[in-house]
Amino acid sequence: MSRAWLFERLAQWGDAAAVVWADKALSYAELLRRVDDWKATLARERLGPGAVLVIEANFSPNACALLLACLDLGLVAVPVVPAMRAHKDEFAAIAEAQATVALDEQDQASWQHHPRPVTNGLTQKLRSRGHAGLVIFSSGSSGKPKAVLHDFELLLGKFEKARAKKTVLTFLLFDHIGGIDTLLNTLTSGGTVVTTPSRDADVVCGLIAKHQVHTLPTSPTFLNLLLISQAWQRADLSSLQVIAYGTEPMPESTLKRLGEALPHVKLVQTYGMSELGVLRSKPKGDGSLWMKFSHEGFETKVVDGVLWVKAATAMLGYLNAPDLFDADGWLNTQDAVEVDGEHLRILGRVTDLINVGGQKVYPAEVEAVLLECPNVRDVAVYGEKSPLTGAFVAARVNLLESEALDVFKRRLRAFCKDKLAPYKVPVRIELTDEQQFGARMKKLRKVSPA
Amino acid sequence: MSIIYDALKEVMDQAGVASPPALTEDTVIVGKDAVLDSLGVVSLIVEVEQALDAKHNVAVTLASDKAMSAKNSPFRTVGVLADHVLQTIAETGAAA
Repeated sequence: MSRAWLFERLAQWGDAAAVVWADKALSYAELLRRVDDWKATLARERLGPGAVLVIEANFSPNACALLLACLDLGLVAVPVVPAMRAHKDEFAAIAEAQATVALDEQDQASWQHHPRPVTNGLTQKLRSRGHAGLVIFSSGSSGKPKAVLHDFELLLGKFEKARAKKTVLTFLLFDHIGGIDTLLNTLTSGGTVVTTPSRDADVVCGLIAKHQVHTLPTSPTFLNLLLISQAWQRADLSSLQVIAYGTEPMPESTLKRLGEALPHVKLVQTYGMSELGVLRSKPKGDGSLWMKFSHEGFETKVVDGVLWVKAATAMLGYLNAPDLFDADGWLNTQDAVEVDGEHLRILGRVTDLINVGGQKVYPAEVEAVLLECPNVRDVAVYGEKSPLTGAFVAARVNLLESEALDVFKRRLRAFCKDKLAPYKVPVRIELTDEQQFGARMKKLRKVSPA
Repeated sequence: MSIIYDALKEVMDQAGVASPPALTEDTVIVGKDAVLDSLGVVSLIVEVEQALDAKHNVAVTLASDKAMSAKNSPFRTVGVLADHVLQTIAETGAAA
């Protein structure tokens, strides 16, 4: 059995802290006892191999134990965070779940059963392998959530080789491929997962100081907030060794300021997709946006400036959308990249690309420049349709201190003059007081102005 | 009309265009001898729209597909654009 090694490994860590939740540490031994409890509960609820279970939870001892129990028994786990509760029934229907278990803020479970058969061909294929599954909902560029079905045991394979023992903060959420990757990576190497009740910069920094966290996997949006809030100055972050950032392109300006603020921390870019899992890579040098893929268990190629990946750990497919793979098993990531020898740099989503009269503009590139302009706190750049040039660049800006729009516009455009080609300079500039990121600390560009 | 002059000056200033001696109703915006390139025109339209919104609380879309496909472009000259602005406001009934 390809998952047997996992539980032997976890048992070997014994009394070491596995999960820190609500400031209390749970040992590996206790975690495994809870896995056994959950296995008994699942049997009682008549959920056996191949059953599909929605787990509505944030990272918690029971959420981790239940996920491991599903993995051990060969269930298909569908993690959903409480913030997505409004979609819970829709997600359960798409995944053809037989039950939902919700873990509340005290980590207490409540059950709901949904009598329905599993008819999806992909889930049936997984069942015939006798493997556990994992369903991740990806927001998708079109906005309609797509259900990504993974063979959980294939995903697990990459963790068989133990890595250095680290204390890691689970900043990425329980229903995110990056969050699951963080969890498995940490537990399989005997490290400690520190959960956070919020993504507030001061809360996160406080937890890093208190629990001597080594690694913070996060998003560029959060890192920008961290810098602006200066929360990093109010807590002792000397334990921090690595900040791993991913999920969206990193503005060069944010990376530079971060390097100056936390010179002792190694800044590493990660690349992952719900469809592929997280792919290991190495930065070209410290603070570089260029990276080299490890190609451990996956291959990459670049076609017309777009990254394609062929990975053993790739999803089986979408439960509710057409397949993305070509005949040879390659998947179009829709991420535009720049290539320099064996190094790559992510430019942004092809779907975010703004085509100004045939000239391509990536929002991330413009955002990086605008973020350097004095008095700019945050910015979202998007394309607006124009019958004349097809599209033009528009920017919605959060200021640090209030400033008249006319004055700011003139100042911003002057600032951009020698930094951006004219067609990349925002034509429409608006000011907003609203936050421009979601619960996942990822930039929201798609919200069109009222 | 002053909105258009102001917006045009602003856009030309941004684009680094040396202002023609004087802007008049006959100043050509689009086409031969135009003072702006296509991106400049887009900028001008957005500037005028934003100014109308800010100063007169009027929300209009000047660059509609209809306006773009019109036989005689409503963006030919400053004067023609001014007429187009007034007409669009009247059509949308958005005048405050």
